[in-house]
Amino acid sequence: MSALQAGAPFQHSGRNITQLMQTLMYALLPGIFASLWFFGFGILINIAIAITFAVLAEAAMLRLRNRDIRSHLGDRSALVTALLFAIAIPPGSPWWLVALGIVFAIVIVKHLYGGLGQNPFNPAMCGYAMLLLAFPLEMTGWHIPFEVITEPQSTDNLGILILTAEREFLSPLSWGGFKQALLLAFPFVASGVIDISEFVDGLAMATPLIEFKMAGKSAILAARESGASLFARESETAWEIINISYLFGGLFLLYKKIISWHIPLAIIATVFVLAALFYAPGSVAIYGTPYLHLFGSATMIGAFFIATDPVSAATTRPGKLVYGIVIGVSIYAIRVWGSYLDSIAFAVLFGNFCAPVLDQYCRPRIFGHGLRSKSRPNEAPVNRE
Amino acid sequence: MSTLKQLASKFLGHDSVFARRTAGGIQPPPFKEHSLRSRIMSTPIPPQLTIPIGPESSGEITRLVDIADQVLKYQKLAVISFSAKGRSDVPVHAPTSGVITSIENSIVADHSQQQQLCINLTVDGHDEALLLKPHTNHSQLSSADLVALIRDAGVIGMGGAGFPTADKLSAYSVLPIEFLIINAAECEPYISADEALLRERANRVVLGAEILKRACAAQRCIIAIEDTKPDAIAAIKQALLNEASNQQCCELVIVPSKYPAGSEKQLIQCATGIEIATGQHPTEHGIIMHNVGTAYAAYEAIIEGKPCISRFTTLCGQALKTPKNFEVLIGTAVGFLFELCGIEANKKQKSIVGGSLMGSELGNDKAATCKTTNCLIAASSNELQAPKAERACIRCGYCADACPSKLLPQQLFAFSKTLDTTQLLEHGILDCIECGACDYVCPSQLPLVSTYKESKKLIETRRQSLEYSDYWQQRFQFRQYRVKKEKDQALSRKLDAPLQSMQAAERAPKNKNNEADFISKEQASRDIAAAVARVKARRNEKNK
Ligand code: SF4
Ligand code: SF4
Repeated sequence: MSALQAGAPFQHSGRNITQLMQTLMYALLPGIFASLWFFGFGILINIAIAITFAVLAEAAMLRLRNRDIRSHLGDRSALVTALLFAIAIPPGSPWWLVALGIVFAIVIVKHLYGGLGQNPFNPAMCGYAMLLLAFPLEMTGWHIPFEVITEPQSTDNLGILILTAEREFLSPLSWGGFKQALLLAFPFVASGVIDISEFVDGLAMATPLIEFKMAGKSAILAARESGASLFARESETAWEIINISYLFGGLFLLYKKIISWHIPLAIIATVFVLAALFYAPGSVAIYGTPYLHLFGSATMIGAFFIATDPVSAATTRPGKLVYGIVIGVSIYAIRVWGSYLDSIAFAVLFGNFCAPVLDQYCRPRIFGHGLRSKSRPNEAPVNRE
Repeated sequence: MSTLKQLASKFLGHDSVFARRTAGGIQPPPFKEHSLRSRIMSTPIPPQLTIPIGPESSGEITRLVDIADQVLKYQKLAVISFSAKGRSDVPVHAPTSGVITSIENSIVADHSQQQQLCINLTVDGHDEALLLKPHTNHSQLSSADLVALIRDAGVIGMGGAGFPTADKLSAYSVLPIEFLIINAAECEPYISADEALLRERANRVVLGAEILKRACAAQRCIIAIEDTKPDAIAAIKQALLNEASNQQCCELVIVPSKYPAGSEKQLIQCATGIEIATGQHPTEHGIIMHNVGTAYAAYEAIIEGKPCISRFTTLCGQALKTPKNFEVLIGTAVGFLFELCGIEANKKQKSIVGGSLMGSELGNDKAATCKTTNCLIAASSNELQAPKAERACIRCGYCADACPSKLLPQQLFAFSKTLDTTQLLEHGILDCIECGACDYVCPSQLPLVSTYKESKKLIETRRQSLEYSDYWQQRFQFRQYRVKKEKDQALSRKLDAPLQSMQAAERAPKNKNNEADFISKEQASRDIAAAVARVKARRNEKNK
């Protein structure tokens, strides 16, 4: 049997999974840098912890499953999962939180379902959702390093600190910021040396979403109106800038043809349309402007990086569009009517849940199938001069 | 709309036919420049030719010569008859003069690489030829004459399918043909034979196209070529100008370069906008497609009266010092051609017949070229290596974006793994044209096409076994029915004597041989009449 089996085609585009994952990581860089700028070293520490545990967990699972560790680890898919997960986790989270989440993601969500290509759910988002359900308190505060000059005045009814003008930002990129981030991540190092409880409380900042439900104005616009620098940490433009960075990363992926436009466009369009429909200037506080829905929270990273994870997404073109719409609706619904603080993870998981059905029922029309009527020669659509 | 197109064509300088978008496709690096560097050359006559007649399974082969016969160039050697398949005969001619040494099965350089019955010809080097009967003025010949001449010249589809050209042409007698499309969209990497042919002999190709057009009584002839071949396009344009006296015999349509633009149904859609439904034949839409090489062969068959004894073949690959396009005599050994191109034997890692995406590996360089051998690649070890890092499918969907048939290769792959033939058919595996575009883009480097080929085989065997079991089930059911019927008959015979006698009466004439000796014909008919009357009377009584 033979020569034929030896297999055409002989030529290959040279693309491989490693390249794909690598490009994905590059595309995440702008967003990561923006986060680094605004939130300090917390995110890098998250990434470092997540990658370490992801690699360990992946290697262990590959070993258990009798796969070649070198080559499978080399495809970088575990690294991408770790990166996406680390970005989603609030900076300044304790190390065990990050470790637990990523190990859950790699071991249970990825490998117990059959490894790369087989997992029906997005591992990073599953890990995130698990943590959100199990440790809601730890997952809701975003820490910004700053030195407390005067004691905070009050807290709102949710028990979250209302930030007042009395705080003084410590540059998150300074040595002090780094130390704080480190201590937050590894509290056991600090115990006995300093009493960290003081600044742990003081550092909690509202998650973007809460801020969002309360405020209702673009921070970038506000900053421009007040003449503040867009990149100054005080101007609270952080989320918008970060989202825009992820948007650029996403556009880079589109340009590189790593992802197709269907899912991001469907999500963004859906969120935009819903936000525009429900937006009523009187009740800004509840619904938020379309702009804030797109750029005020994690919509961009969700649309370009998380929902497009190929393994767990719908794979047909029409399916991708529907999948994006499902996620977009879920994002908006969870945000506005739901009680969870973050919507992306659950929305994506819900989309994952629908994906197999979408793949089965939303299929493109096969070439030469389902033609309505046989067009006869004399109807050939060519001009006949 | 048409005025718009006219306007546009004025500005763009194209012809009035526009290319339309087709689904999917990839743009692999073409690697054609090496073989296009030199002009087409004729090979020297090799000392030995192995002329394939056809796989024994394909049809009935009538040999016209025998071992030790002396044959002349152009002499008919054999005829393959496809009458069982409703096709006409294809003759095979001697490419040069010599003596027939043996007739045996050997391997042939084509896609299927089956063993074919071949005539071994030891060349005498004199190249003594039969006299040819050229028809310089083809317009005097009728369509039927042209088709007959083309059939007699043994022309078959030079693009690769190898379907007898005359059969395709004669479709006109059943269906009106509007378009004849000359396929010059040679999209597969490495192959450049058609492009070279157009560059150098566009006039003859255009003339050949005209002949084909007349032979199939087509209203229009479209030459479809990819936009990446400017030299060939210029040559065609020039040739069309030269033919201008003949008022617009052909139109040129320039199609966007992508693989597989030259695939039949894709090119039809691209050039005419007509989508051929699955299971339909292009002729049902009044379309016939022929390859450039076929047009050239038609030109030779009519204008020069020369039978098809050679073809244009690309020789390329990094193991060759001087890759080029050859006019190859049918039956030349692959190894001989490689030698002519200065093969570095130690560099050659494998030989491929066909292009890099749909070709197949050639096990043996002794294989003979046949009428469909369009390309031979002597690949060195750093080209055309199958990727080794096969991974799990990550469902990225790149394959679906590349698929010209708009299939979902990732789903087909998954269903192939689980042998789910129902889903495979549902997802249109039979519409896969095995172009390999999905394979080419797959980042997991999965062997998709080979998997589909296996699946198709599986589906075929399942279908056959199903048919087989259906057949026996029918037989069985019929037997049961028959047994039951016989039983019933026996019963009714016992119960109903009059009926029996009637049956006997019916049977009587048939059993003449046995009974005629005893009963005369009249006697019998009288008896029958009486019996029938009796039965009728009794029935009437009963009814009352
Ligand atoms: S290109 Fe390969 S990995 Fe991607 S979906 Fe298709 S088969 Fe799967
Ligand atoms: S080989 Fe088949 S499935 Fe793959 S791209 Fe070509 S037609 Fe589509």
